[in-house]
Amino acid sequence: MAENSDASEEVLLDCRKICKSYNGPMVLSDVDFSMKRGEIHALVGENGAGKSTLIKIITGVTGRNSGTMVFEGKEIGHDHSRTGAQGLGIAVIYQELSLIHGMTVAQNMFLTKEPRMPVLGIINIRRMNSLAQAMIDRYGFNLKATDVIDGLSIGQRQTVEILKALNGKASLMIMDEPTSSLTSAESAQLFGIIRQLKADGISVLYISHRMEEVFDLSDRVTVLRDGRLVEVLEKERIHPNEIIRLMIGRCLDEKDSKCVMERKGGEVVLDVHGLSSEGKFSDISLQLHAGEVLGIGGLVGSGRTELVRAIYGIDAHDSGSISFQGKPWTPGVSQSIRGGFGFVPEERRLQGIMGGISITGNIGITNLDSIAGKGFVSDRKELALSRKAVGLLNIKPAEPSLPVGNLSGGNQQKVVVGKWLIRDLRLLIVDEPTVGIDIGAKEEMYQTIARLASEGVSVILVSSDLPELTRLSDRILVLRKGRIVKEFAEGAVTEEDVLRASSGILEGGAA
Amino acid sequence: MSITALRRLILIGLLLAIGLGLSLASPSFLKLDNLMTLLQEASQTGIVAVGFTLVLITAGIDMSIGAVIAITAMICANFLTYTHIPAFAFIPVALGAGCLVGLFNGFFITRFKLPEFIVTLASRGILAGLALLIAVKDADGFVSNVFIQDPVYLGFGGTVGPFYIITIVFLVLAVLVQFFLKRTRSGTNIYATGANPTAARLSGINTDKTIFAVYMFSGFCASLSSIFLSARMMTAMPEFGIGSEMDVIAAVVIGGTPFTGGIGDIWGTVIGTVFLAMIKNGILKLGISPYIQPIVIGGIIVVVVVVDVWYKGFAERLARNRARRRTAEQDRAAA
Ligand SMILES: Nc1ncnc2c1ncn2[C@@H]1O[C@H](COP(=O)(O)OP(=O)(O)OP(=O)(O)O)[C@@H](O)[C@H]1O
Ligand SMILES: [Mg+2]
Repeated sequence: MAENSDASEEVLLDCRKICKSYNGPMVLSDVDFSMKRGEIHALVGENGAGKSTLIKIITGVTGRNSGTMVFEGKEIGHDHSRTGAQGLGIAVIYQELSLIHGMTVAQNMFLTKEPRMPVLGIINIRRMNSLAQAMIDRYGFNLKATDVIDGLSIGQRQTVEILKALNGKASLMIMDEPTSSLTSAESAQLFGIIRQLKADGISVLYISHRMEEVFDLSDRVTVLRDGRLVEVLEKERIHPNEIIRLMIGRCLDEKDSKCVMERKGGEVVLDVHGLSSEGKFSDISLQLHAGEVLGIGGLVGSGRTELVRAIYGIDAHDSGSISFQGKPWTPGVSQSIRGGFGFVPEERRLQGIMGGISITGNIGITNLDSIAGKGFVSDRKELALSRKAVGLLNIKPAEPSLPVGNLSGGNQQKVVVGKWLIRDLRLLIVDEPTVGIDIGAKEEMYQTIARLASEGVSVILVSSDLPELTRLSDRILVLRKGRIVKEFAEGAVTEEDVLRASSGILEGGAA
Repeated sequence: MSITALRRLILIGLLLAIGLGLSLASPSFLKLDNLMTLLQEASQTGIVAVGFTLVLITAGIDMSIGAVIAITAMICANFLTYTHIPAFAFIPVALGAGCLVGLFNGFFITRFKLPEFIVTLASRGILAGLALLIAVKDADGFVSNVFIQDPVYLGFGGTVGPFYIITIVFLVLAVLVQFFLKRTRSGTNIYATGANPTAARLSGINTDKTIFAVYMFSGFCASLSSIFLSARMMTAMPEFGIGSEMDVIAAVVIGGTPFTGGIGDIWGTVIGTVFLAMIKNGILKLGISPYIQPIVIGGIIVVVVVVDVWYKGFAERLARNRARRRTAEQDRAAA
């Protein structure tokens, strides 16, 4: 592709007056959106603002009701489809979705485009592997073409996703919340890749709720609110407060973060002693006091999620003991629910949500004990409960009969969290509670967690979001390779302290 | 060594051990005659199992295969009894019937998003009934036995050298399909469709087309095996094949193609069918009541599935540990 100075000013994609409704209210109204060649463009907005929908329209996943789209000077008709978009060079990075397990990196990169021998259409495996390896090497990734996907870390899988998309000769690469399951090191690597793409003349459209990323990376930012375009900011106007103001329509008075650890003296609610599970975590001992927020930090894959799953009783552990409120405790999901445990899982799509069922139904299922007194479910109580959750977390649209699958990603997450928060809880375990949740809703969630703690509920908070972890926790344990490597129990803690401990760089430099 | 390769090695070891045991226990086991019959029986199940394997790799299931065998046999019986059309002309029609059943299955699975099990179970019922309906009847309306005399047709039950033709056909089919699976785009699409249909569609694979194709092929394979069956038995009965799903499922599962889709291959199925045929042959040779066969087969299915699930958990643990090590390495590199 020819590169010259005005190439960067060339408009790659121009959408005008895009309207969309999923047979109901307008989700996008008269949205104008444009991308220049070789720019990094962030799309921001609250949960449900219509970001994912706009992307689905551009990539042909869903149709628009009206409006025009021009890509590389050619009009895109209403018959736009996913394959059509691929043919044009519009690539999307899906979160873990589009890789085939059991296949190698090369097979995934070349899926449906495998190089073939001249005769009989036989796949030329050797050539496929060497082409793939050449591409990996060109970008300097730490991967082998013959590695099988199943053995790769999340960050590496995402790299494969990007390679796969690049392989289709993409000129526009779209990423919808790409960093939501990455560690900070992995995110940093991803940003390196994004910059590399830009240098190659590829435009990147990027959605994220992590503001600091948006500021670091973007050349321009488009802000959506309630399905309308609010503003397009050029590089020099990209400021955190400005964007947040445009996004939510008001200024956010962030409670200044405490970030000071303090040991709570209350009664010990949960006492875990020497808990081990082979290959996941080993010799974990911790005590959780009443009204305490215990943060668990560490890298993705350090065993945090596995630990809290074992405590809640989803997975069995090999050895060690747990006592709850002074009595020996055998973990198990139904005991946990009866004992007043709440659990917000990490993989919300897989574990937390029944997409085809209404908000009410999703909330009802974990609260059957309170809505089904004598074995019959009371619709009235169920509805009242779900209204409460919808109000508590400001779920939009505030219509309990909607199937959860039709909500935006962030609002789905609010439903998962909400169905626990309305219970009478003793102990709340939350695993990455605010991934994909917009900045305003995050603040509300923080306040809810803090309020619960002040009412005496003990909270275990697993989070990769360091500001969140340091701000909410009374005490932080850091896990590394399945072991507790550090406890921050008193005094001020910075994000950097936690990060160092997580990656094995303890005080004094080398590990 | 990969975990699938290790599993295969264990299976082959087990096969040889059982073979050795049987040849010690029964002197007639190792006779050429017996071995060829064993292979012939393995091929009878095996041809159907090849098609079934593809269905299983797409994470589907085909319960109609047994009934396809029955209907194919009845179609041939009708041609043989009432017409003078030569075998070479009507056999393609009979094979086409198998494909047609697959088309029917595929249509309801993809178009109406119905569960594979239900659709194919329904076809099984319909076909089993149809087979009885079109069976050749005597004057009193009872199903009469057809004695096949057509020399060309009977030729399918014959041998080339010591090998039954069906064994040769099975092996050729297995080689071709294995190659197709591993070395063509369409083969890759079958794996992708079973491993992660959403991802496959996102990658531009027409998963519906893939599903149509595998069910049609499964029907074709069942029809093909039916022709060999009636040729060898020199007769065709409407009960042919009914209930044989059990053997086919057992063979494929023993071979290492799980019900979860995305994994498996034809070599495994070939080993699985020989394994199963050997067990059945052994039961006969050891003079144990043949009624015990289905019990043994059912038991084997359970054992294999249990061991596979356990093995999978074990393998996943290994993979997770490896991923964790890699992450750590990467972080160290990044730091
Ligand atoms: N399949 C669907 N059917 C009906 N309504 C839908 C569907 N998908 C999305 N919506 C609605 O469209 C609106 C915009 O959703 P969209 O997913 O585009 O939001 P978003 O900006 O990506 O939010 P988030 O940050 O939470 O991911 C939401 O109100 C949502 O409820
Ligand atoms: Mg979204």
